[in-house]
Amino acid sequence: MLKTIIKKEIQNNIFSFRFLTSFALLLIIVTVTIFILTNDYLKKIDEYSQRQTEIENYMKSYAHFNRIGNILQATQPPIPFYSLVRGLSSDVNIEEFDDDPLPVIFPLIDLVFIVTILMSLVALILSYDSVCGEKEDGTLKLMLSNGFSRSKAILGKISGGVLTLLIPFVFSLVVGLLIIALQPRVAWNGADWGALGLIVAGAVFYFGLFYCLGTFISSRHHSSSSSIMTSLFVWVLLVLIIPNLSPYLASFISPTPSRISIDRQTARLTDTERDDLGRKLMKEKLEELVKKYPVLAENLAEAEIKDRVTRDPAYREAYEARTREVQAAWDEANRIQGEKASAIWREMGRKEAAQTELSSYLSMLSPLSDFTYLATDLSSTGVRNEAHFGRIREMWGRAFGDYQRQKIETLQKQDPAVDWWNTAVDMSDRPRYNYQEEGLGGRVKATLPAFAVLVIFNLILFSAAYFSFIKYDVR
Amino acid sequence: MLWTIAKKEIVSNLLSYKFFIVLLLIVVLIFTSFFIMHRDFKNRLSDYQVIRPKPGEPIALLAPNPLSIFAKGLDEALTRSFEIGVIGITVRAGQKSGNIIFSFFPTPDFLYIVRVVLSLVALLFGFDQVSREKEMGTLRLMLANTVSRAKVLLGKWLGNFFSLAVPFVAVTLLGVVFLSLDRDINFSSAHLLKLGFILVLTLVYIAFFLSLGLLISTRTKKAASSIVILLFIWALLVFIIPNLGTLLARQLVDVPSVRALSEKRQQVWTREVLLSIGERGNEQRGNWAKHVKTISDDNDRLGEDFSNKFNRLVNLSKNINRISPAASFVYAVTDIAGTGISEESNFKRDVVRYKDSVIQKMMSPVGSDSKANEYPAFTYNYRTLSQVFAQGALFDLAWLVFFNILFFALSYFAFVKYDVR
Repeated sequence: MLKTIIKKEIQNNIFSFRFLTSFALLLIIVTVTIFILTNDYLKKIDEYSQRQTEIENYMKSYAHFNRIGNILQATQPPIPFYSLVRGLSSDVNIEEFDDDPLPVIFPLIDLVFIVTILMSLVALILSYDSVCGEKEDGTLKLMLSNGFSRSKAILGKISGGVLTLLIPFVFSLVVGLLIIALQPRVAWNGADWGALGLIVAGAVFYFGLFYCLGTFISSRHHSSSSSIMTSLFVWVLLVLIIPNLSPYLASFISPTPSRISIDRQTARLTDTERDDLGRKLMKEKLEELVKKYPVLAENLAEAEIKDRVTRDPAYREAYEARTREVQAAWDEANRIQGEKASAIWREMGRKEAAQTELSSYLSMLSPLSDFTYLATDLSSTGVRNEAHFGRIREMWGRAFGDYQRQKIETLQKQDPAVDWWNTAVDMSDRPRYNYQEEGLGGRVKATLPAFAVLVIFNLILFSAAYFSFIKYDVR
Repeated sequence: MLWTIAKKEIVSNLLSYKFFIVLLLIVVLIFTSFFIMHRDFKNRLSDYQVIRPKPGEPIALLAPNPLSIFAKGLDEALTRSFEIGVIGITVRAGQKSGNIIFSFFPTPDFLYIVRVVLSLVALLFGFDQVSREKEMGTLRLMLANTVSRAKVLLGKWLGNFFSLAVPFVAVTLLGVVFLSLDRDINFSSAHLLKLGFILVLTLVYIAFFLSLGLLISTRTKKAASSIVILLFIWALLVFIIPNLGTLLARQLVDVPSVRALSEKRQQVWTREVLLSIGERGNEQRGNWAKHVKTISDDNDRLGEDFSNKFNRLVNLSKNINRISPAASFVYAVTDIAGTGISEESNFKRDVVRYKDSVIQKMMSPVGSDSKANEYPAFTYNYRTLSQVFAQGALFDLAWLVFFNILFFALSYFAFVKYDVR
């Protein structure tokens, strides 16, 4: 019996006007989007390799250790998944003079957008009248006058609906993936396909949830025209409002000091206050030292000091002790103030992390954010990849630092007279920066909470639909 | 007769479940948005007070724009601090928050609420105007009177427009009054005038979606199919066309990425600094000036080359996106608010000019005396309304009006031929 209802539900949907429209729309949009994104990805790879060549050319003629950090910077290379999911990859470059305003005005569209906005809308459009529409048509009475339970009816309705939704989604995605598969320059590996499989599973949970929601709302209403109003209202809140509000709400509940004022504060600590402290420490140390070397108490002019250092060994000893103490005083001042500043930055980082965590928890109230986090983390374009990339950059930075020290040491042994810091050096043996995506296992583990929330949402909404339908007045 | 129909529409709207939901949505969203964006503005304002350049410092810094509360646009990019040195412009964007979740979702400002939510609401007011009355049978009754079909349609349009526009404008104005109670914001009369234009644009924008709803309603027999079509058209116009159009434009115009440009600039100045260090011992001063000039010239050349291409990209993407009135609306509102793309490029041009004058002063022989560190303050005047209109906003406004007339006319023709039985 259940099968009959599912079949009826699917057939009913498939030949409906709204299903056909959704199908056509999805097919066109998914194909066009994937086509454009793939081309854009190819352009990005070309540009990335061109940028690397420019850097290589520069390194051939001007590779000095001085200011090398400006030239050799770790940047995120384009990854093959960019032909489907873009996540946080858009390059606004706001830290530099040349920023790109276009993604700020209109963020670009990718598979995540198609699923979160379009598929959820399609799910609601197909489900908003699944109960009250049948009541209006009078078929609900007829159906339930047969000898089968309401729970079977609702189960059949929802599973039939979700299966119908799968048809246009999977079909248009397959067409889009053909574009990727036929493009020889886009090389997807096993992990990519695995991640895509999980993203599709997440998408099914995502629009399944909206189908349950639509059915639930439908079984709370007796006319389909008010059901669509409520559905759209809830949809607007869940999809368009809650995610956008959540970081602001989080910044309200768990505020962080502004980076600018912290920057100023720490700059003061390591600048003027450091100078004050350094002078104070130096004075103290020198007063101590004068007790040991009374010669230092004399006030001599610069030239006279130089003269005496060369002539008088006792004075030289005293003078060298003085230099050591002065250096020690400033080192001490730098250490103390540096620690203070880094403690402030650590505290700041802790607060920012707390706020980020809170925002992501708040936003997870909206299924849109759950799916967004899930899809971007799985495709290495999300928060997790930012951290992963940061680690790789740091490791490479350390490796390059070691290389630089060793290289300068060896060069200095060869010719101590040269200022190797400011001389062109052959650095072709430098450690290369090499970005590798995080393994699939780690990515999957990170997305488990989002999956769990989606499943819980499904369960809650399904039971809500179930209980409302059980008590629904079909007359 | 026209007003009778309009009045009937308003009354029947006021009593409907739809109106209740919409009113709730408008009130909650507008107030929340104003509250949040106001707070965001205040935070940025206090940051600005901290880093405000002292007299004589060669720093170009704009105060946050009060209109960014309504349309944030590029205000974050505009209020970065541009520090001028011999090697060029160094940007400090400390304003950026460490909370990465901000970059996932668009800013919920007034512009976003109107563009996305209010357009949907306007469609909901229009989608069943004709098909519902036909389903209920009242359309036949109404047209059995001697009233013309044009009047019926116009009456419906006016009635629905007012029942949406009046509460919306009232809530917005109330919000603006609350905002202006804050002394820090300090709306000038120019700001208020601009705000007035933004409101007018908003009304034209929602009028368009109402006409669109009316058109589809006259082309369909059932309200259910009308809403399906409308929701898809809405998703296309509001999200898909503008977001896809920019990407498409990037395929058609060959523009290097901003990151590539920044890397080139780094290479230029690092190269010149190193060359000058290598030449030390010669007549240093003169050589350094030569290198500074090379840096400045190369940077300007790079920048100009890039911005020529980039402007072509911006224009093309704007023109592609303008297929959708939602894009026209965004361009016009951000331009008027002074947070749009053209404003930013205008501003950056001024920053480059300021940089040239500062560097000239830094490198001039007189610069070596005690007044070396005194530089003229940077000033920037936002484009005036007439400039903004002349440089695109008027076109966008006219384009929106054109869409309105077109869709209303189309729905008129459809309605005249509508089978009311």
